Amino acid sequence: MRHLRVMLGVYVQYWRINILTTLEYRENFLLWFGFTFIYHGSAVLALWIVLNRFPSMNGWTFRDMAFLYGLWMLAHALHNTFFSTVGDIPEHIRDGEFDRLLVRPLDTLFQAIATPGQVFPDELILALITFAAATWYSGVQVDATFLVFVPLIVAGGALIDLAFNLFISTVAFWFVRVDALRWIVIQLEQEFTRYPISIYSRGVRLLLTFVVPFAFMNYFPARFFLHKAHENAMLPAEIGLLTPAIGLLFVAMAYVFWRFGLNRYSGVGH
Amino acid sequence: MIIAKPRFRLEPYVQFAQKAMAREATYRFDVFTSIASVLVRVYLLRMVWVALYARNAAPSELPLHAIITYSTVALLMGLVMDIDQTRALHDRLHTGDIATDFMKPIVVPFYFFADGSGEVLFHAVLIVPSLLLALFIVHIDVPGPLVIGTFFVSFFLGYLVGFCINFILNCVAFWTLEIHAVQLIVTWVTDLFGGEIIPLVIFPVFLQRIAFALPFAAMFSTPLLIYVGVIRPERYAAALGLQAGWLAVLAVVATLMWRAGAKRVIVQGG
Repeated sequence: MRHLRVMLGVYVQYWRINILTTLEYRENFLLWFGFTFIYHGSAVLALWIVLNRFPSMNGWTFRDMAFLYGLWMLAHALHNTFFSTVGDIPEHIRDGEFDRLLVRPLDTLFQAIATPGQVFPDELILALITFAAATWYSGVQVDATFLVFVPLIVAGGALIDLAFNLFISTVAFWFVRVDALRWIVIQLEQEFTRYPISIYSRGVRLLLTFVVPFAFMNYFPARFFLHKAHENAMLPAEIGLLTPAIGLLFVAMAYVFWRFGLNRYSGVGH
Repeated sequence: MIIAKPRFRLEPYVQFAQKAMAREATYRFDVFTSIASVLVRVYLLRMVWVALYARNAAPSELPLHAIITYSTVALLMGLVMDIDQTRALHDRLHTGDIATDFMKPIVVPFYFFADGSGEVLFHAVLIVPSLLLALFIVHIDVPGPLVIGTFFVSFFLGYLVGFCINFILNCVAFWTLEIHAVQLIVTWVTDLFGGEIIPLVIFPVFLQRIAFALPFAAMFSTPLLIYVGVIRPERYAAALGLQAGWLAVLAVVATLMWRAGAKRVIVQGG
């Protein structure tokens, strides 16, 4: 119990430092916010341009795709806000900072997550606005099921992101440079969450469902909420409600791998 | 201080380019990832266009095979176009090494051009294996020698336009040191408005007007539209002329910025 209180105290301090840092480097923050805005803005604009010319993609309209994007963006932003620091672990391992975390009396992963930087919930705020707008625009019915399941699904989606982030960072215990691997996974996620996965061949669909389950971040839940029950012989839309469970499962697997790596880790020779 | 103008010799720059090629060749894993990433995107874009063309009326000027060819060639061009060839300028401004560069008997912007071109040439070699592997995924059209020849001329002009834009952005670092966010923003804008992801002829009319009026179209869109035959031989002169025009304008801007920036370094350095 005391342990948890200490962790909570550290975590509150972590956010305090983050926000103070952001306030200190205001121009920098504005530039990065501009980047986040243009990044998502240009992605949505590209979708709009394509679907303006070709009004239907496998039966999905721009309105449907906006919801698909909004759902992914929200889960992804939730992950980026609370867990992006997990991605810095390889850097800490490389420069030896990581070894300092090992000798402190708190969980190593928790310390890694709570290493202050310049984190600010700007992307999350933008994602909330985008998701609200996309929900309204796509005409998804906001009922009790929606209100109960959407937060769970978004949290589950963020956990799927976290699982891969942690998995890649763990690989750094063996191979110090993992930037290229991370880049591939980030790209795959970006590209394969943008369109309904029903456009891909069977093998790729199975991959995105069971191996790298990005389809659970947005495709399956979006199908459920958009009432797209029949989509060429795919799994039923209801499995979209399983996203939280899938998220927990994959994070658990990544955590086991992390513990395994941590136990074998013996420094990079500083 | 009076600096005697050394007689211009080409061979140091050839050496710089060779050094840069050797440097790039040491990052083997990055080579693997950039090829893998191109192949994944080739597959992805093929599926996207197939899905879009299956249910909608195809645009008369761009049948399915033409747009798949367009996307594939664009991704292969991206292997060399997406490189920030003058990153070295920004890095050397950060570390202050730029001061010693000015003392060397070289024309500094040419040094950056040679260094960047070496890097680019190395990546250009990657086009061959990427293309061969891509042919397992897609079938691409191969036009006649006149079109191919003009395409390469236009591609080269596009490369130079891209070089100037990069150079200008890196020159901004003379004034403010943090330019990474700005560069990423310009990258997204270039990808979209340069016609790298979506052919500009598919854009709605008002966006098309904007896109064709921007210099980014000279980077990707012009060579690609020549390749797929949307720009016909009778319009080659006008298309290449416009690219050359942008190149001239951007080269002047780059020169002015470089001069102003270099003066600042000398003033600061005393």
